[in-house]
Amino acid sequence: MKRWGVLVGAAVLTIALVAPAPSQGQVRLTSGKIVIAVLNDQSGVYKDLSGPTSVEAVRMAVADFEQQFGKFPGPVEIISADHQNKPDLANVKAREFYERYGANIILDVPTSSAALAVAEAAKELKRLYINITAATTQLTNDNCNKYTFHYAYDTYMLANGTATEVTKKIGKNWYIVYPNYAFGQDMERSFRAAIERSGGKVLLSDGTPFPNDDFSTYLIKARTLRPTMHVLGVMQAGGDLVNFVKQYNEFGLRSKGVNLAIGLLFLSDVHALGVQAFEGTLYTTPWEWVLDKQSREWADRFLARTKVRPTFAHAGNYSATWQYLSAVRRAGTDQPDAVVAALEGFRFSDFFARNAEIRRQDHRVIHDAYLARVKAPSEVKEPWDYVEILSTIPAGEAFQPLSASKCKQ
Amino acid sequence: MIARRLGWVALGGLVLLLPRLVYEGLALDILTWALFATALDILLGYTGLLSFGHAAFFGAGAYASGLLALRGSVPYPVNAVAGALVAGALSVPLLYLAVRRRGIYFAMITLAFAQMIYYIINEWRGLTGGENGVQGVPRVLVGGLDLSNLTMFYYVTVPLVAVGMWVCWRIVHSPFGRVLMAIRENEVRARSLGYPVDRYKLLSAVLSCTLSGFAGGIYVIAHRFVALETVHWITSGTVVMMVLLGGMETTLGPAVGAALVLLLRDILSTWTDAWGVATGAIFVAVILVFRRGIVGTLQQLMQSRLHAALESAPRRPDEATPVSR
Repeated sequence: MKRWGVLVGAAVLTIALVAPAPSQGQVRLTSGKIVIAVLNDQSGVYKDLSGPTSVEAVRMAVADFEQQFGKFPGPVEIISADHQNKPDLANVKAREFYERYGANIILDVPTSSAALAVAEAAKELKRLYINITAATTQLTNDNCNKYTFHYAYDTYMLANGTATEVTKKIGKNWYIVYPNYAFGQDMERSFRAAIERSGGKVLLSDGTPFPNDDFSTYLIKARTLRPTMHVLGVMQAGGDLVNFVKQYNEFGLRSKGVNLAIGLLFLSDVHALGVQAFEGTLYTTPWEWVLDKQSREWADRFLARTKVRPTFAHAGNYSATWQYLSAVRRAGTDQPDAVVAALEGFRFSDFFARNAEIRRQDHRVIHDAYLARVKAPSEVKEPWDYVEILSTIPAGEAFQPLSASKCKQ
Repeated sequence: MIARRLGWVALGGLVLLLPRLVYEGLALDILTWALFATALDILLGYTGLLSFGHAAFFGAGAYASGLLALRGSVPYPVNAVAGALVAGALSVPLLYLAVRRRGIYFAMITLAFAQMIYYIINEWRGLTGGENGVQGVPRVLVGGLDLSNLTMFYYVTVPLVAVGMWVCWRIVHSPFGRVLMAIRENEVRARSLGYPVDRYKLLSAVLSCTLSGFAGGIYVIAHRFVALETVHWITSGTVVMMVLLGGMETTLGPAVGAALVLLLRDILSTWTDAWGVATGAIFVAVILVFRRGIVGTLQQLMQSRLHAALESAPRRPDEATPVSR
């Protein structure tokens, strides 16, 4: 029965996707153009994992989309700005994008505190916002709203995969170090919950300033902690994570029995320090370029364009742009309410998001996630070949179940 | 006199037209920072005390009025006034200690207090949201009128800022202001004349902090948001720079400095992220070439022109023909 449902769904979808194709040019643009704004960190700790190359990914998506489906009746403009990971700057820039530059949509927005600020602006000004790089589950819980979508991953997904697996395989006693802002606090909560669910225990958790250069205090503490901890869970991301792992290796903690578990790992982090620094690390990811042929093909095109292999943030930005544009086509207009309606409940599968559904109730985009491991230097066969995918976490299990959602739209 | 009146009319027109000339958000920022800078000038220009911690009071005003609006549904501008009072109350104990020193020591003490406030706000997560800040502050006018339209909010705010600026002007152009200047010029002499110098300094500082808090209150309602950056020492540095650029001890100098810095930042930041380099270069140039700041230098030029004109003018006949009869 269930399979039939899926088949019928797929058929309807195919028709829905194919049907509007001949009716080209029926898209009505309210201001004669589509403006896509990318707001992210273009100079700081999160620059490499998304940053200017994500703007490039969005450009690529627009070009590919127009090539496949024909041009929109007006130009598609792409604008971007640097929010320096500061929530107040993100707030100012987002309002400016929507009000001054007439942006139809804001994409990306790493740094959870900044992401929440943009969600407020989207809600107030009634414009679309698809977040890709921020992790906080608050975007689809307490702070959810009609115009905000959360696309690639969240702390629940990361903790659910990594904490469960690591507690089972490596050790039960955790010491957690997290950056003290929305993202880190949320990561700490999610990891603690997942660790305790799988029979582990959090001995201690420490919040650090953000951004931060010197983690020696926490590394020394890790060794002297009693009772003995098995896993040092580090929730830092981007440049902070690179610093942390560098110092972890300098202190020689791996050989002293302090196992590292990383909450959020981007390909760019591994590239920055080399695989030996991360060797054997287990982590959860929504996508890696080595996933399969389709992903590799896209990653090759991305490499040719930007000279780097994509992180999942780049792929997510591309995919989200594509889904937005296709929703505009389906809706036949760029009016925010109509596009939101076209996005809600939509099911799709592209090179980035497999078996994806844009949940109507909380705007969480659910899709398959993967448990991955960083390779040993001897296993690396080509440049940027750092990751091995161990298993797939199906879309239905990877994210917070709807029953637990605190979203009231 | 007529020229002066024309000048005020032109200025008023410019302020009213500002949201049409630049983005409304930027226009509002110019208003709030103009008030903040003018408030700082009471202390910096007229009393001669360089405070490097004014962000704490601006921020305290912002957090207080933001939280009052968000949790207590206090309407605008009552929340901004309450924010000002909170900032003023906070400044009393801190500045009471600080005014006992002057010069670099005063600057360092105020900086230290501001950093303490910064960390308290960061750690007091339940109230202030820590790094995440206070988000989604409602923008509602007394009487329940919704002010979500920025342009409307701008025009509601113009008279408030005007009143704030007028209060600043009144403070320094009063006998009290005269005493402040006397203290700045020669503290020992002022003391020997019987003025309780520390009390004057403290009052000047508290007034300055209260008005800064008022600017902070307007700021938070305008942005509907306040985060840690607002109380960071960089904010204190920026506002000192605005005052110096525009000209200390001038009525409109701080406002001109604020407008200049914000406009430059806005224009340059669309081109490059290194807008700070350009603003910094201009700052250095202004300090080296026009030490009195832009408005201060202009005033000086106009005055020397006026003097020159008076001296070269032909003497009036009744003066020119004295005793010969």
